[in-house]
Amino acid sequence: MNTSLVHIIKKWVPEKSKVIDFGCGDGSLLKDLIDEKNIRGYGVEIDHNKIQECILKGISVIEKDIDEGIQDFESCNFDVAVMASSIQCLREPHLALRKMLNLSKQCIVTLPNLGFWKCRLDLALGRMPVTPNLPSSWYETKNLHLCTIKDFETLCFEEDFVINEKFFLNDKGTKSTLASTFPNTFASEGVYLLAKK
Amino acid sequence: MKTKTELIKFNQGLDLESGARLNTFDLMVETYGELNEDKNNAILVCHAFSGNHHAAGKSSDSDALGWWDEIIGSGKAIDTDKFFVVCSNNLGGCSGSSGPLSVNPESGKLYGKDFPLVTVTDWVNSQKLLCDHLGISKWHMVAGGSLGGMQALQWAISYPNKVKKAGVFATATRSSTQNIAMNEVGREAIRKDKNFMDGDYLNHNLKPKNGLKTARMLGHITYSSEDIMDQKFGRKFQDIKSKIEGTVDYEVENYLQYKGEKFSDTFDANSYILMTKAMDGYDASFSSNGSLEEVMKRIKAKLLVVGFDSDWLYPPKRSKEIQLAAMNVDVQCSCVILKGEQGHDSFLFASDRYVKIIKGFLDSK
Repeated sequence: MNTSLVHIIKKWVPEKSKVIDFGCGDGSLLKDLIDEKNIRGYGVEIDHNKIQECILKGISVIEKDIDEGIQDFESCNFDVAVMASSIQCLREPHLALRKMLNLSKQCIVTLPNLGFWKCRLDLALGRMPVTPNLPSSWYETKNLHLCTIKDFETLCFEEDFVINEKFFLNDKGTKSTLASTFPNTFASEGVYLLAKK
Repeated sequence: MKTKTELIKFNQGLDLESGARLNTFDLMVETYGELNEDKNNAILVCHAFSGNHHAAGKSSDSDALGWWDEIIGSGKAIDTDKFFVVCSNNLGGCSGSSGPLSVNPESGKLYGKDFPLVTVTDWVNSQKLLCDHLGISKWHMVAGGSLGGMQALQWAISYPNKVKKAGVFATATRSSTQNIAMNEVGREAIRKDKNFMDGDYLNHNLKPKNGLKTARMLGHITYSSEDIMDQKFGRKFQDIKSKIEGTVDYEVENYLQYKGEKFSDTFDANSYILMTKAMDGYDASFSSNGSLEEVMKRIKAKLLVVGFDSDWLYPPKRSKEIQLAAMNVDVQCSCVILKGEQGHDSFLFASDRYVKIIKGFLDSK
């Protein structure tokens, strides 16, 4: 995860809050949040090697396929649920978002933007986009539901999700005026802090 | 691996959950490796229903390997070059600790069927006295599978300041209705053996071997799984020369006959009843009127919960229940479901991932 993104997420996660990170990878983000913000954190991961790394780091991790359902966690009263760069890999992203907001007060979602100009250019030239945020070729990618910034915000509107904050990063993983002003074309990645109405 | 086996006497006695009291009791204890100067490298492993204190290596009197030999030893998942590993035979057992086969110091006679009912919590309390006796202020880890996993969990609940990590494998916060049902069939087989004499067989110089054997045969079916039995035996016929019983047709029958026979030679029937009753009776939430969260709140240890996909006795969903209850009350807890080649017994065997996960958990901060 790039440093600007980590920086933004750290700003949004309150001190001592209870956090669940869906698709937590090797647990680095949770480790940082535990060390710096004193959170109570849990990760959900499906990759065996990454689970192993979490355990070695001392991060609480649950082996689980998010597509199989996360409603069990509704009793846990999370303050923040994080889903970084994995929402587009799920079978039913809109339902996953609803469930995340049922089990947590706020939800941090990051997603690659298919409207990014380089993606548009690739498509205009007749090929599937490959960018730093969409690094895999079409036959290897785990992405099932790619969308643009505009699409995602339309979904949030239709589902009554409140966008409390948002940030846009260019393909170098940094904030830029261009990406913030015209995100649908110039942001490579969108970062959202969502809540229920 | 430095191994020591000793019988330790506890003259302070123990008040049991049932209200009965043992004025004195013995624990048969085996240790592996060495306790360091700071006494912070000690690991308690708790045995399952038919296990005993002999957890690793060869025993002093035979070549039999310990029940968790695949996991405990030099360079293994629980590395005896680093850790001092302790295992005791549970109270009520039949491998040297006070139980139905020991002499009641009050009457001078064998306890037999009169050995009081013991519970998982009683075992944990007796192991706490062992912990004090060894001068250990905090276990680096308490771990076990099945009935041993219940003890590991109960340790974390009963003595939160004495457990840094708990390895809770192939187990549940309480036995299911089906678990109780299976155990009752085993007990019934023993009780209906004509040699059982209402549990008084020792005084008649008898042994309810047939009942024990049947009970164990059923047990072995539950520790395995449909797929594993298919793979291991299929529908292969037993060759005539190695048939244990004339009535045997298939290999699986011969296997169960063999296992049952062996078990009934060594295990005590009253112990069988006591151990299965303890297993059936376990409910972590019992002390707080059924609220698991209430008791889990006390835990300060980090938990590692491991379930195995082929285990139908304590299936993965039971592991997930422990994990969820822990997460509800902010207890640090990881939960993984491993591919198990051996059904419920999978927790005994060292698969690559299992070993890595235990090592990682032990090495983590």
